[in-house]
Amino acid sequence: MAHKLLNGVRILDLTMVFAGPVSTKILAELGAEVIKIESMQRADVFTRANVYPENTPGNDPWNRGCLFHSLNAGKRGISLNLGMDKGREIFKKLVKKSDALIENFSPRVMENWGLNYEQIKKVNPRIIMVSISGLGHYGPLRDYYMYVPGMEGMSGMTYNTGYPDEPPLLSGCAYGDWVAGANAAMALITTLFHQKTTGRGQYVDVSGREAAVCHIGDIVMDYVINGRDRKRIGNKHLQYAPHGCYRCRGDDDWVAICIETESQWKRLVQAVGKPELVENKAFATMQRRLDNQSELDRIIEEWTVRRDKFEIMKTLQGLRIPVGAVLNMKEVNLNSHLKKRGFFQLVEHGEGIGQRPIPTQIPAKFHGFGKFALKRAPRFGEDSEYVLGSLLGMSKQDLARLEEEKVIAKTPAFPPGKPTRLDLIEKQQAGFIDADYLDELKKHFGAEIG
Amino acid sequence: MSEQVFSNVKILDLTQGIAGPYCTKLFSSFGAEVIKVEKPDRGDISREMGPFPNDERNPEKSGTFFYLNTNKKSITVNLRRKEGVGICKRLLETMDVLVESFAPGCLTRLGLSKKVLKEINPRLIVTSISAFGKTGPYRNYKANNLTSSALGGAMHLMRPGNSPKKRPVIQGGFQAEYSTGLLSYIATVAALIGRADSGGGASVDMSMMECVSTTLMGHVAEYPYLGLSRRTNPFAIHGYPIGYSVPCRDGWISLTPGIGGAPNIPLLIDRPELLDDPLFTKTQARMAEPGKFDGLIIPWLSNHDKWNITAKAQELRLAFTPVLSAGELFTDPQLKAREFFETTSHPQLGKIASPGAPAKLSATPAHPGKAPILGEHNREILGKYGYTQKEITEWRQSGII
Repeated sequence: MAHKLLNGVRILDLTMVFAGPVSTKILAELGAEVIKIESMQRADVFTRANVYPENTPGNDPWNRGCLFHSLNAGKRGISLNLGMDKGREIFKKLVKKSDALIENFSPRVMENWGLNYEQIKKVNPRIIMVSISGLGHYGPLRDYYMYVPGMEGMSGMTYNTGYPDEPPLLSGCAYGDWVAGANAAMALITTLFHQKTTGRGQYVDVSGREAAVCHIGDIVMDYVINGRDRKRIGNKHLQYAPHGCYRCRGDDDWVAICIETESQWKRLVQAVGKPELVENKAFATMQRRLDNQSELDRIIEEWTVRRDKFEIMKTLQGLRIPVGAVLNMKEVNLNSHLKKRGFFQLVEHGEGIGQRPIPTQIPAKFHGFGKFALKRAPRFGEDSEYVLGSLLGMSKQDLARLEEEKVIAKTPAFPPGKPTRLDLIEKQQAGFIDADYLDELKKHFGAEIG
Repeated sequence: MSEQVFSNVKILDLTQGIAGPYCTKLFSSFGAEVIKVEKPDRGDISREMGPFPNDERNPEKSGTFFYLNTNKKSITVNLRRKEGVGICKRLLETMDVLVESFAPGCLTRLGLSKKVLKEINPRLIVTSISAFGKTGPYRNYKANNLTSSALGGAMHLMRPGNSPKKRPVIQGGFQAEYSTGLLSYIATVAALIGRADSGGGASVDMSMMECVSTTLMGHVAEYPYLGLSRRTNPFAIHGYPIGYSVPCRDGWISLTPGIGGAPNIPLLIDRPELLDDPLFTKTQARMAEPGKFDGLIIPWLSNHDKWNITAKAQELRLAFTPVLSAGELFTDPQLKAREFFETTSHPQLGKIASPGAPAKLSATPAHPGKAPILGEHNREILGKYGYTQKEITEWRQSGII
């Protein structure tokens, strides 16, 4: 559920793919009016036209991609050709009527269009402009060509993720993109507070890599203090043992267990049916358990491997031990706690797609502010009438002319949509397919899905 | 010092560990007065975390505590004593925000229920950070960074594209904690902005499990649209079986051949005769035979160094970048040019560097600072709030502060 905290805040959104859309989705869920401005030549193919409902691209694949729907619900959308003078003129009119502008092009793009901060500021001196990039907008490497593996890889995060005897591991959820986007939202809301109190705008330069470094600050500090360059340690913790991920009954089922205190340790050995371990010198103190944790992990897994992960969670939580089942994407969608908390909002997508659960990007439960339901993500060029008509006072004829002149469009220049290669995914075991997903969701949410 | 965003915002910080302190660190970096309440004897648990110089434990020398608590003021208050709670109550009269990370229900047991807080300060914003939030079936479950990463779904995806059923591994460091701290900050600033309109107080209930689930972004949506529950990264799913770390002579390279193809890779590896090979022109060909692709590029990469590979690849418009260790960040030319690391001076740690701001704000930059000594600001803060030197001395003797 979205909340009305940023009433009257208007944000122009020139971002694509994951990072930028995360930042503006956060602001949209907090009640800001976000106007997504898309190019028809270089629109967001990766999220707009990818992963279709029931694996069916349909005739307008660009309006059906699930990655786009989940990251852009609650936003308005128009198309605008910023490569044309007329497109830029319209854009500047919108700048005049907005509080903030956010973009994630490579550093040269806005400059080449004559739309850098200095130029934007002349149009609207109180505007905030946020640029998101991999390495930042100035500095010798600013033009590096990179995606999320670059941001994570150059931050120290990848180097510190994975098992010690294996390659550094990229995150599984494009986490570096999330870090970049969420930190851009952090900067945006900070500067909005400043703008509200002083009336002044400013420019914000977000480097996704730098933001990622901030998220491993404790690891960096070991180098600062001891000159010790940390390496990946798998699932281990420097202070606590056992601290691991254990195989459970099932095909790909796991549980995470961590023991932080002596009393938890004593309760754990009872639970796994090895009370004699309390007397065992090899495990007598936290330090001994840290030293001998491979043996400990083996003993714990002997117990977990024959049990269901949820049953283990229930048993150990009953003993006040920190334990969590490793939820897969199906189980996250069907999780009772997340449902109770309202983490997912059912959003009506319209004909052919119906209702689907959309995850929140700012999972905060507010008390003291009004609530509202997010509208589905905009179809391509959907809000021309509101944005160009109502906000800028253009007539229907004006819009028709702009469309003729290819300044705006209702369809992007996209290649035909392709279904996801579920066959390859299954063959390589990169994921599993649940044929009953619509029924499972119906049961879980008690609502029509699809 | 430059202009500060939160120069008029006061925060009482009852958090410890990582998530809560990271939230309030962002506030203090942007100029809020953050008064950190610590346990009189041991202080914040992160004071016990290290890294310590030479691994010798010292609550004033923890690198983690330092990093997470820059620019804050520390007072020591025993919240188990009613006089201690009384001190918090007096401070709360003039605060804008209370941030706390106790288990749900704990604040009420301390005598700081919602009702009491509202009576003390009707405009107060109370941000509560816990593992699962204040409601829902898991609310009383125990959790930490590891188990929240598991339940939130992020850990399930932590497997390489070429062995997706391997034992999942946690993301390096404390990502569940940092994500939660960051989102708690955003929600709290939003509440401050919203409060200006509504005029009343508000509360914000944050859950670490949800903060992890939110980092899944659209990946979690593949299930409700397609029935797909993935086990590995997006590059492995959508036709780019890459995005892993590939060995080179002096370490590792992370690479993404590019959305739509990677026509220049043969030029990088000095094999121009392969320019038309489908492995380099068609993502699906790569996806079908990731091992073959690796087999062609690894021999060349193994004979070259990461920064040299990167320089040549970037000239060819290839998204190849070095995998850097934390130590290597300190010689990275980009971070140097951008003066990313900040340096301050600490009475016990001496001159010390730490990661700077996660974003560069041109008019109101985050400012560097040092972490407080335990109870460093007792006299200053309590004096300012009307307590006499005599009271302060007595409380110290009786263990209240």
